[in-house]
Amino acid sequence: MALDAYRITEEPYYSPAGNEVRLFEAAYAVRLPMMLKGPTGCGKTRFIEHMAWRLDRPLVTVSCHEDMTASDLVGRFLLEGDTTVWHDGPLTTAVREGAVCYLDEIVEARQDTTVVIHSLTDDRRILPLEKKKELVKAHPDFQLVISYNPGYQSVLKDLKESTKQRFCAIDFAYPDSAAEAAIIVAEAGVERKVADQLVTIAARSRNLKGHGLEEGASTRMLIHAGKLTGHGVPFGEACQIALVTPITDDPDIRDALASVIRAAV
Amino acid sequence: MAGRAPFLKVVGTPQAPPAAPAAFAPPFLAPYLRAVRKLDGAGYGASLVAAYERAAAEVAAAVGPEPAIEMADTVSAVVVKAGRRSGERVADAAGDAARRFADPLRFRSWLGLMQRFAAMAPDSVAAVGERMATLLGTLDLSGLEAWLLAGVREAGGDTERRAAFFSFDRPEAARWLAREAGEVVFADHERRLKAYLCALFDVHVPIREPAPGAPEPQRRRPGFAEGLIRMPPTFPGYRGEAAQDVFRAALAHVGAHIRFTGARFPVGQLKPMQVAVVSLIEDARVEALAMRELPGLKRLWLPFHIAHPSGPATAPSLFARLARALIDPDFEDRDGWVRKGRDLFHAAAERMEDPAISRRIGNVLGNDLGQMRVQFNAKTYVVEPPYRDDNLGLWDFGEAPPEDEEAEVIVEAVTIRQTREDEGAADRDRPEEADEGHTSVRLADPDPAAGVPVARYPEYDYQVGRERADWVTVKEYAPRLGSARTVTAILERHHAVRRRIEALIKTARVGRPERLKRRIEGEALDLDAVLDAAIDRRTGSTPDERVYQTTARRQRSLSVLVLVDTSQSTRDRVKGATTSVLDMERDATLLLAEAMDGLGDAFALAAFASDTREDVRYTRLKDFTEDYGGRAREALAGLAPGYSTRLGAALRHAGRDLAAQATHRRLVLVLSDGEPSDIDCPDPRYLVEDARRAVQSLAAQGIDAFCIALDSGADAAHAKIFGARNVLPIARVEQLPQRLPILYMRLTS
Repeated sequence: MALDAYRITEEPYYSPAGNEVRLFEAAYAVRLPMMLKGPTGCGKTRFIEHMAWRLDRPLVTVSCHEDMTASDLVGRFLLEGDTTVWHDGPLTTAVREGAVCYLDEIVEARQDTTVVIHSLTDDRRILPLEKKKELVKAHPDFQLVISYNPGYQSVLKDLKESTKQRFCAIDFAYPDSAAEAAIIVAEAGVERKVADQLVTIAARSRNLKGHGLEEGASTRMLIHAGKLTGHGVPFGEACQIALVTPITDDPDIRDALASVIRAAV
Repeated sequence: MAGRAPFLKVVGTPQAPPAAPAAFAPPFLAPYLRAVRKLDGAGYGASLVAAYERAAAEVAAAVGPEPAIEMADTVSAVVVKAGRRSGERVADAAGDAARRFADPLRFRSWLGLMQRFAAMAPDSVAAVGERMATLLGTLDLSGLEAWLLAGVREAGGDTERRAAFFSFDRPEAARWLAREAGEVVFADHERRLKAYLCALFDVHVPIREPAPGAPEPQRRRPGFAEGLIRMPPTFPGYRGEAAQDVFRAALAHVGAHIRFTGARFPVGQLKPMQVAVVSLIEDARVEALAMRELPGLKRLWLPFHIAHPSGPATAPSLFARLARALIDPDFEDRDGWVRKGRDLFHAAAERMEDPAISRRIGNVLGNDLGQMRVQFNAKTYVVEPPYRDDNLGLWDFGEAPPEDEEAEVIVEAVTIRQTREDEGAADRDRPEEADEGHTSVRLADPDPAAGVPVARYPEYDYQVGRERADWVTVKEYAPRLGSARTVTAILERHHAVRRRIEALIKTARVGRPERLKRRIEGEALDLDAVLDAAIDRRTGSTPDERVYQTTARRQRSLSVLVLVDTSQSTRDRVKGATTSVLDMERDATLLLAEAMDGLGDAFALAAFASDTREDVRYTRLKDFTEDYGGRAREALAGLAPGYSTRLGAALRHAGRDLAAQATHRRLVLVLSDGEPSDIDCPDPRYLVEDARRAVQSLAAQGIDAFCIALDSGADAAHAKIFGARNVLPIARVEQLPQRLPILYMRLTS
């Protein structure tokens, strides 16, 4: 099978925060397109990896960006010698082979690109390839999943209403402190005490959301900090380079965060 | 020798030192004697000459005979400007200054400074001279100069106010002294400290300095009330990082109260000593809870607990020792009361979340103190260690809260008004103002004719080369509405101009460059399109010819704030016309607003004037969020001239609005007819330099500032403030309505 490389063979670690696993399974059972909403680094991508593994489906991930065209998604003719050859894009491959197609950060893509998914998200479940004059019927196992960070919402970057309304959505937030600490222990291989300290710091940084920070420290950042301490970087420095320095350039906010880190240990 | 006679006469007076000190050996003896004779001959009186002679001996010993001789000229100059007593005080201070500097050059600078100060503030020289030793104990020479200038500027030409400053009757004097002495001042670190508090406890409340009239303990210690934290401007004795740590410790402590204390304790029948003990236990309790979550806070708080386990068993000493015993497990104190306090506190560890334990333990310990006959003076008691708040916020005093000052610190404006009215004792005595609960109501519903203080901004003093934080208060005034008919009349009068503007609107384009793909023409090939076209050709279908890409500015992404100067001078008639400068500004702004509205650009309109640094009058005619329509037009029609032109503060305030606009380009457009000035600023260059600084700081935020300088002869000042290329002088004001929209198009395309 063409998509064997996209199969996830080992269980990706995922710690459910609620009943999102069950909900997703139900949505998959009836092949409803899904939207995963939530702040950056809170575990959306890990969740979909976990679900693909659980459902035993290959996972085709596309990171969306503003220059992405519809051809980048569905495919294009390429010149080979004197002939032209059609190459399926990642979306078409997933549709044909029955994979889960995950369009990460869909708002980053141009709006004229995202409309190509429309015919896949209703009961037609087809993907028209205009160039090739082909109508690809979706494989029964195919499912479309997109991720969307409402924090970035602005006039310039938002999903079209007609796109939004085609999806069911699950809200993701940062896990509660015990779960987040368990995740850090599992992912970064640190002691529970260190994980707890990181979680304390993260909770404090999230208090600054909208008061100097766009977003607080993500679970991903905490895992980074934890991994660094595992490699002998002192805790304070690990927090500095994994949490404080990446998150803001504002010296006052950096100072406040550094003081918070000192308070937490 | 006849010339020696006065000298001999002087040394003969009882308070004078012996004749010609050893420092004035030849060749300095003759010039020294000449200097003495000159002072004496000028008829300033014997005591002045004596003061000089005393000082000269000290100065000569510290920095050499030459500066001591030169000092005679300074003393003489000071006497000329400021009178004999001032001259004497300067002479008296000279010895201190010379010893402090121990350097002839710097001592000469000090002499020069005294001479300039005598010219600027003759009435204050004596007061400053008397305090020179204290001043020089904390300030270096440049700090002293900055402090003196701060006092002069602060008073703004008001001699009484100036005298009050230099005799330290105004709290500002001490505040600026702390600032210039390099002490850490809360205002300078406010943003980071607020972020710290917000991060630690998710607490977002305003932080204010105590009112100048507040009782001493409240000015030395932090405090909190509902919706407000009070923070002393400095913690004397702490410098650098240590001082920042006191502020951090104080905010963390107050934050812990806000987070964990919950409802206020009813004070009931408790005696002041019991109140103090219960407060102390509560302080320890909220800290213990905070440290459970954030153990590092202990490292922040502990170093401030420096009580020793010995000494007399007075209340303040016992309190400080118990405070330490409750946070520091290594602290050993043999005193039975302290140990009992610690045991009770630890026994309650399981119920630490319950505020009632503070009350219970505090009562037990308070009773013990009573039986031990320990004296407690509530008036002089100051909480230790210094980072802890005064605990007034913990208590519900029932009907008559003693902390009526809290109501006054809620908005600095109140403070300011109060200080202007000579510490405003009368104000504070009014019961409705003392009632904290009504304060917000009063502020939310202000007298429409009065301004609402909304912000404080720094001002730049070019003479000392630095910004004075929190120097200027901007008050916002509600616009007066003119009649809609006026608006219609104006628009009709400029009918032709409006038509031209509409035409211009259609062609105007500004915005972020955007890559446009698949174009019929463009600067570069669009590779995707080329590939597609080649494939189309080979597969026999008609290729799409749109194979180029280009960049273009497609949509306008622009915010403009038009700032109209309505100072008194705009009342003047335009030469050869029947309208005033302000009328022209108003017409032009109106036409421009119609144009901007037609373009769909985000814009705001505001007018400004000023009446000293405490009242920069800012009137919002239209905000960015507001639709342009009847009200904005009427507000424009209602503009009236008056007051002065403190441009820098108005620019900073406008910049704050613009900074919040998420557009590609942000522009503040000033319409002004004269250079910045205000009645409290005798130095014409001062406000020009400040406005220039304001423009620079706007530029640093990516905000462009442009000035339409109406015929005024102030072009040079405007060029200096905005840069020559950013000023459009308009010689004939009547052209303004026509030219402004065109200029606007030029600026924004």
